[in-house]
Amino acid sequence: MDLLATLETFAEQCNQNQRLRKMNRDWTRLVELWATDTDQRYWLKSEAGWITSGSGEAMDAELKISARHDILHDIFSGVITPTEPYNAGDLLVKGRQDDMMRLDIITLLIWGE
Amino acid sequence: MSTANGFKRVLPLRTAISTSAGLASAAINFLACVEIAEYAGGASAWLALLVAGLLIVLAGANFSELNGMYPSSAAIRVWIRRGINDNVSMVTGFVYATTVIFVIAADAFVLGHVFQAAVPNVSGLIWIALLLGLVTWINLRGIRLAGLVQDGNGLLLLTTLVIFSFLVLLHPHVPLTAGRLFHLGPNWLEAVAVGIFIYVGFEWVTPLAEEFEDSRVIPKGMFIALGLIAIGFGLFTLALAVVFPNAEALKHSLVPQLIVGLHALGPLGFWWMVVVSLTTAMTTFNGGLATASRFVYALARERVLPSKMARLNVKLVPQNALLLLSFLSLGLAILVYLTGQYLFLINAGAAVESFMYAITAIVVANLRKREPGSNRPFHSWGVPWLSWVMAVVFAGLGIGSLLAPSGEHGFPGPLVFLVLLVAASQIYVWKVVPRLKAQKRGMAKAVVPKR
Repeated sequence: MDLLATLETFAEQCNQNQRLRKMNRDWTRLVELWATDTDQRYWLKSEAGWITSGSGEAMDAELKISARHDILHDIFSGVITPTEPYNAGDLLVKGRQDDMMRLDIITLLIWGE
Repeated sequence: MSTANGFKRVLPLRTAISTSAGLASAAINFLACVEIAEYAGGASAWLALLVAGLLIVLAGANFSELNGMYPSSAAIRVWIRRGINDNVSMVTGFVYATTVIFVIAADAFVLGHVFQAAVPNVSGLIWIALLLGLVTWINLRGIRLAGLVQDGNGLLLLTTLVIFSFLVLLHPHVPLTAGRLFHLGPNWLEAVAVGIFIYVGFEWVTPLAEEFEDSRVIPKGMFIALGLIAIGFGLFTLALAVVFPNAEALKHSLVPQLIVGLHALGPLGFWWMVVVSLTTAMTTFNGGLATASRFVYALARERVLPSKMARLNVKLVPQNALLLLSFLSLGLAILVYLTGQYLFLINAGAAVESFMYAITAIVVANLRKREPGSNRPFHSWGVPWLSWVMAVVFAGLGIGSLLAPSGEHGFPGPLVFLVLLVAASQIYVWKVVPRLKAQKRGMAKAVVPKR
């Protein structure tokens, strides 16, 4: 499965989750994801509680996440929590800590502890 | 604010300075100054602070290199894991987080005595419980004290110290002669070791690295903040030497800042210092609880701690982690308030930080070997030879802090406590963490959809 398909599935799971939609109602953010080994860029957008995804650069992103392709895939398919590669230095982020925590909470609410 | 790279929000140098200075400025620093002056033999405490500050600048260079390589809010957890190993990273992470509880408890102790002095009819313990409870409630509600208030307090405190100290120094009862300024007491090296404590927390700006686009802003901010801290608290120790010409008399002062305030501006100075002590302690409670609870949350998400610690309330605050830390801080604060053993907290805190600086020196040297090609926006100085010298010096200062006299009978309480804490953390990492991680692997198989 390529990363874009994984992100689309992730966005769909978010959109199907009422609690998440309510939680993200006021969270309008553009997140850029950079797969460092393949040099491919993707994005996730949260607006009015709905998540959308796509490929390509995201200008004016509030949050920039970079990691290897396989790590991004594992995070957005629930194999690992974002915290694991983050605490190992394999996932780097630029942006506000509150936003990073929000992303982690989203994965927590989808896949549980 | 948008940058050339299309990044929307970046923090300026001013924030790096105010955050670094703010996090290092705790109310317990006033009592630490008293302890330093006592060990240094009086007025030469400023020199001990200066030497400690110069050593801390070297530690700051190591933090700057590591922060440039891995600008992460997980900071030491990442650096030590990559530079040494995961085991050492977890154990030091636990011990480091404990320091936050020490500092909160120590500030609560100071706050209790400040209010006891200002409002003698109400017990200090009631103030401690009330104010710590208030900050916990604010955090549980997800209300973040504005960054400006949090960070601005450090600069308010340092400015107050400079102005008040000058006012006291203008009219010394006993002149500060060269003989007094350079007289080194018998425990002068311990004074340098405890002097480290004054700067503790300057490096806690590094977890904000992700919010700065240019990594070089953080080293600049840290070094400027260190200079401001050295000036503010250096002058305060000189003012103490004027107010208490006899170093022995210092021992009995638990509210030295109020006395300096009284000497500087009379009752207005006294009450001004009460307010500054209150805001400083409150920001320490707030910053400490907010940061440490999220650290505990991250460890729980990684299954290094029980998953209950990752539980969030409706405001998305890790409430169990927050409440646990708050209760531990309150318990420790009450214990210290009742026993009066606050030197225990200062000496143990100074030791933990010294050991941390020794470890980061080793990590810098190791990473130069392990990851020679990594991007380093800041290069620390004299790696590896100076790194190893620093590791030895800081380890020695850490041991010096642990062995510094902190009780009436000379019992090395901080040493015993730290050894037990490290041993308990290591046993936990060996015995409990593998079980928690195994549980998680089982759960992940059950919930993850097939590729």
